[in-house]
Amino acid sequence: MTRPNPDPRSILDLDRMVHEPARLAILTVLAAAEEVAFLFLQKVTGLSKGNLSSHTQKLEAAGFLETVKAFQGRIPSTTFRITEEGRAALQAYHRQLRALLPKEGKP
Amino acid sequence: MTTPDLDALAALTRDYAAFQTRKSGLATALGGLLAVVLAVGSLSPLFMGARLGHRLLLEYLVWTPLLWLLLKGLLARALYRGAGSVKALPDGAYERRRWFWIFGLAMFLLAVGLSGLYAFARGLLQAGAAHDACVPAPPLWLLAMPPVYLLAMPWAIRGIEEARAYAVLVGQSVLWLLPFFLFYFGAPTPPLKTGWGLLGDLFGVGILVLWYLIMVWGALAMVRGWKEHRDFRKLLGTLP
Repeated sequence: MTRPNPDPRSILDLDRMVHEPARLAILTVLAAAEEVAFLFLQKVTGLSKGNLSSHTQKLEAAGFLETVKAFQGRIPSTTFRITEEGRAALQAYHRQLRALLPKEGKP
Repeated sequence: MTTPDLDALAALTRDYAAFQTRKSGLATALGGLLAVVLAVGSLSPLFMGARLGHRLLLEYLVWTPLLWLLLKGLLARALYRGAGSVKALPDGAYERRRWFWIFGLAMFLLAVGLSGLYAFARGLLQAGAAHDACVPAPPLWLLAMPPVYLLAMPWAIRGIEEARAYAVLVGQSVLWLLPFFLFYFGAPTPPLKTGWGLLGDLFGVGILVLWYLIMVWGALAMVRGWKEHRDFRKLLGTLP
């Protein structure tokens, strides 16, 4: 079965909120767990604190993640969880990208 | 940053999160070691009757499950949360398997405990020194141990799920203690000592099979725990 050729212009329809590499990495990590601490997200993505904060704020504003702030004893902790909307956006992005990419073995 | 390998990132997150739910690494190895020590020790009256200071070695061994719980919490915090906490996605199949074993074990221990109580009530067992008096009767304060296991560890419990897991472990510890006392210190009453017949033989074989199972489980737990720990060290090495 052959896949229908997508409209070449559909690459412009990719969700840019998800398409940015740092945000894509953040959403991928969050989708693989229920709740992730800021520290782990920073270590696993290799982003600086400021950069990570900036991207998570954008994703939160888009409704793709939730921030949970709490205290563990006296130490403040920040954790993130992906929302249903964020998970759906990530899955839709994967589908779109897969449709746009050439089949294996073809340039 | 460069475009990441998304599958690798997701796998890394899942593997790391597993160490905060179902994998315990060195704590598993330690649990296996303690199980082997208890299993070997329980067959040796000399070992169980040995004294450390002014107390029986047994009086220290009774604390083993609580000690293990404490060490498990400490090791998890010290070794497996260094890169921050990650809560794993719920795994329905794993949860079902886990509860099946927990429930099965609890039922088994309950059956052993109840049969012990029945044997006491019928006079087949009586409180006193076991193993032909090689081991003296235990001090009575040991019988008050179960409530100690009910002491919560607030620093180790986060949320209802961990509290539930702790409650189950405490319950199992209590269930473990009851038959332990009943059978280790319940000597058959002299007239019935040789009158158990087939029941006695079956009981002996059952205990022996259980003993081998504990030994095998302990050995496997040690290997598995050490392997998990090595895998975690490798996983940490892959973090940027």
